[in-house]
Amino acid sequence: MDKIELKNLLFLARINAKEEEYPEIIEKLKNTFGLIDEMQDLDLSDLEPLNNPLELSNVSREDKDKDRNEKKKFLDNSPEADEDYFNVPKIIE
Amino acid sequence: MAQNDTLIKGWQPVIGLEVHVQLMTNTKLFSPAKNQFGEDANTLVDLIDLGLPGVLPVLNEGAMKQGIKFGLATNAKIAETMIFDRKNYFYPDLPKGYQITQLHYPIVRDGVVEVNGKKIRIHQAHLEEDAGKSIHDKYDDKSVIDLNRSGVPLLEIVSEPDIRSASEAVDYLKKIHQIITYLDISDGNMSQGSMRCDANVSIMKPEDKEFGVRAEIKNINSFKFVEKAINFEIRRQIKILEANEAVEQETRLYDSIKDETRSMRTKEFANDYRYFPCPDLVPTNISKEFIESVRKDMDELPEEKQQRFMSIYNLNEYDAGVICADKKIANFFEEVVKDADIQLAAKWIIGELNALLNKHDISLDESKIDATNFSELIQKITDNTISGKIAKEVLEEIWATGTKVSEVIDSKGMQQISDEGELENIIETILNENNNQVNAYRSGKDKLFGFFVGQVMKATQGKANPGLVNELLKKKLS
Amino acid sequence: MNFKELRGKFRAKKVSAKEAVESSLEKIKDDKLNIFINNFEKQALSNAEYIDNNFDDFKDKPLSGVPIAHKDIFCTEGLPTTCGSKMLENFIAPYDATVVKNCFDAGSIMVAKTNMDEFAMGSSNETSYFGAVSNPWNHNLVPGGSSGGAAACVSANLTTISTGTDTGGSIRQPAALCGITGLKPTYGLVSRWGMIAFCSSMDQAGPFSKDAFGCAALLDAMASYDEKDSTSTKRDNINFEKSLSKDFGSLNIGVIKNIEKLGISEDVINAYETSKTVLTGLGHKLIEVDFSELSSGICSYYVIAPAECSSNLSRFDGVKYGYRSEGEKDIANLYMNTRSDGFGDEVKKRILIGTHVLSAGFYDAYYLQAQKVRRMIKVKFEDFFKHVDLIFMPTTLDQAFEKNRKSDDPNRMYKEDLLTIPANLAGLPAISFPNGFKNNLPIGGQLIGKYFGEDLLLNTTNKIQEVTDWHKMTP
Repeated sequence: MDKIELKNLLFLARINAKEEEYPEIIEKLKNTFGLIDEMQDLDLSDLEPLNNPLELSNVSREDKDKDRNEKKKFLDNSPEADEDYFNVPKIIE
Repeated sequence: MAQNDTLIKGWQPVIGLEVHVQLMTNTKLFSPAKNQFGEDANTLVDLIDLGLPGVLPVLNEGAMKQGIKFGLATNAKIAETMIFDRKNYFYPDLPKGYQITQLHYPIVRDGVVEVNGKKIRIHQAHLEEDAGKSIHDKYDDKSVIDLNRSGVPLLEIVSEPDIRSASEAVDYLKKIHQIITYLDISDGNMSQGSMRCDANVSIMKPEDKEFGVRAEIKNINSFKFVEKAINFEIRRQIKILEANEAVEQETRLYDSIKDETRSMRTKEFANDYRYFPCPDLVPTNISKEFIESVRKDMDELPEEKQQRFMSIYNLNEYDAGVICADKKIANFFEEVVKDADIQLAAKWIIGELNALLNKHDISLDESKIDATNFSELIQKITDNTISGKIAKEVLEEIWATGTKVSEVIDSKGMQQISDEGELENIIETILNENNNQVNAYRSGKDKLFGFFVGQVMKATQGKANPGLVNELLKKKLS
Repeated sequence: MNFKELRGKFRAKKVSAKEAVESSLEKIKDDKLNIFINNFEKQALSNAEYIDNNFDDFKDKPLSGVPIAHKDIFCTEGLPTTCGSKMLENFIAPYDATVVKNCFDAGSIMVAKTNMDEFAMGSSNETSYFGAVSNPWNHNLVPGGSSGGAAACVSANLTTISTGTDTGGSIRQPAALCGITGLKPTYGLVSRWGMIAFCSSMDQAGPFSKDAFGCAALLDAMASYDEKDSTSTKRDNINFEKSLSKDFGSLNIGVIKNIEKLGISEDVINAYETSKTVLTGLGHKLIEVDFSELSSGICSYYVIAPAECSSNLSRFDGVKYGYRSEGEKDIANLYMNTRSDGFGDEVKKRILIGTHVLSAGFYDAYYLQAQKVRRMIKVKFEDFFKHVDLIFMPTTLDQAFEKNRKSDDPNRMYKEDLLTIPANLAGLPAISFPNGFKNNLPIGGQLIGKYFGEDLLLNTTNKIQEVTDWHKMTP
């Protein structure tokens, strides 16, 4: 992984780091991938991936609404809101 | 593959549409909050829609049924197992930082619709959640977020690149619109955003084996703009290729005011959505029994309705087709003909009523016309209370005011004169005042018959029963 | 007093819920080990009074009158829920986790919420924004993680039961390092609603207590089918406490072949060998199983868990709740700075790993391969369970270690989970119980069961605890 790749990764994850921290981060990630990469030697081409241990069918619920307006509670819990909306710095399209 | 009549300056446009349809359900796709348009901001938000820590999605069966209905209506394959994936990206109106959607195992695949006799294939239709809304004009320095729409169920209908012109794209879109509104899958209201369209457009030479590089035009919100946006894009790409430059694969936005598309590419880095199966929702099996129960509850499709109208109402194919094109009109027709003459009702709906709807560019339920009143109008024509000409005036009046037909007729004294004695007197007077024309007619100038009819109508302000006038005039003039 | 005694005294009206809570709160106030993030004296006392006033309604409930501490990963309505992170330092949850509600309905009283590794990512409790927890047996050592506070709380006798969560060993490893009993249930037995997600396909809440009896009673309270959790499973007639006295007869128990090759310390192996003789003494038959292939589970885990966490933690963006960095003028900086300041280093590292393994070009080699390893491990367990009823192995490679020691070598810390991870990947239930001591420090042994085989795990552990005293030791 080089600096450009790390920069892209940081952007995708929305995490900041100073350029001078890059080498240390890259080293840490390399170290972890060193551990992970031990699985690359396994030939598992005939196995289906397993996403969830219990291979059940998903459930669904009836289309019935729960009429409960918790607007005030939710807005009060936010870092910044007015009476009606969550507020954020201006989004430039 | 290329059809010559769709070539533009020797170039073949190739178009695929992605149509997002908001589903008509009581609740959201994964939360029990109400799915409704136009409520006060942030009042239709559940813990789940807010993406609070620790919340989990549970699939709404209603949304699943809507997806299956669409699949059945387009002769598609309904998935035995569908899988929800997460599409990861950051945006303030996307509370979880990912959208739950279906990438590889959608609820519906391989459908087909017929547009002007041509088959257009549907690659897939998948369920996904809508995002909230960011509003930018409330404050100068801030944007605000409304999460009412967050989690509203969408069906994204992805066509194959089978469309060859902008007008065909519009016809395809209208067909989709017809299906979803017919089956109450969606209200299909484009201005409220319950139906939105992205278009993938490329051009190629007819002899080319491979499609050209395509541009995706995002979020087009009317039928008219779909046509304009695609046509603009085709012209833009022709200009580029004819200058021996390359079309870039990119996302573009249609600006309806300037009538142009422009690039949305702004980001330093390309986005990478990092799709993976949503671990909170295991694969969903859809049983044959479930599909059959949905099929049983399904309304008839336009074609089925048309066939039924032809056989039980004896309408010709054309009339039945026009009436059944819009489900609201078809239902209206069925209401009207409970008490009114079928053929006459059909004629008036196809002619006069449709003309008014088109002229004012509104749908039937937005107008002041209701079926009972319209039925009375037809009955008044049939029983000779009013003539067809007067009926047009009455229709104008009820269109404008919604007043009852009988009241309009009474208050304006529009009843037809069908009293033989009264008409005979009027005719006598007219014949006496127009001796020259009477003589000319009797000496063989048949065309003057119309003149006499006109005079009677003028004298009665159009209220004379035209059939009776003809009959009496013929008798008097012979 | 252990759980059984305390509950017995409440039921016999010898100790009121209020008295039990007061006693717990007093000890909690004196805590020097940094076990708690918050305690709730007022609510606890009023809830205790409520239970005392409605004695008849609660007296037969599994946790009647007993104080409990919840891991601070469970949402508690109207009260802070931090998940050990600066990101949620001031977050007040607007709803209760199902586990919290179930425990209240079962007659317990929450007195405090316990410290944990940030967002449950860690094996030593050192990644907590609120500081490390000390091991009750030796304050220079870690209690294990991520449910380090919860394990230390029971170990130090501040409460007799506590809840934890286990994604890669976060119940069993601290149970082993603190000398108590802790159970990770089958994935889907306990609802995840209101439990802040780390790795959704592996996270599972479970009980801590000194012994199998306390764990059984707490699991009776925690386990429930929950319509709000699509991965929750319906189970009929669950009564783990009752199943403790059942006779399951002689079992075939799988034991690890060539255990010396796994890098396990001598002391842990000695304890393991001793436990094997206990098992044969109880009439069980030991059958060797080959565990070597399961070690690749650690690779799989460190792909899947970061992948899911990178997505699960995207919601912490400073918009709707939780921490937001101050004075940001545009949304891009708001995101970047909120997340960089709000998350600790270990969390950020795992988000980066997870983002990387899911990104274009790496998905197949990492994420997909990891899910195949996961399949391989599930299949391997299925093979084992054709021949054995339970599998027995140590819980950890070694005993509790010094603070700051392994954080210098992250891979060494990750390998700490080698023996616990396979059960998470396969979703199997597993219990850790104290099975030895060395240098006045506990050692843990682990039994892994078949899907929804918690009754057998608890029953077998209980039988072991009837003939051994390791679980009775106190720091």
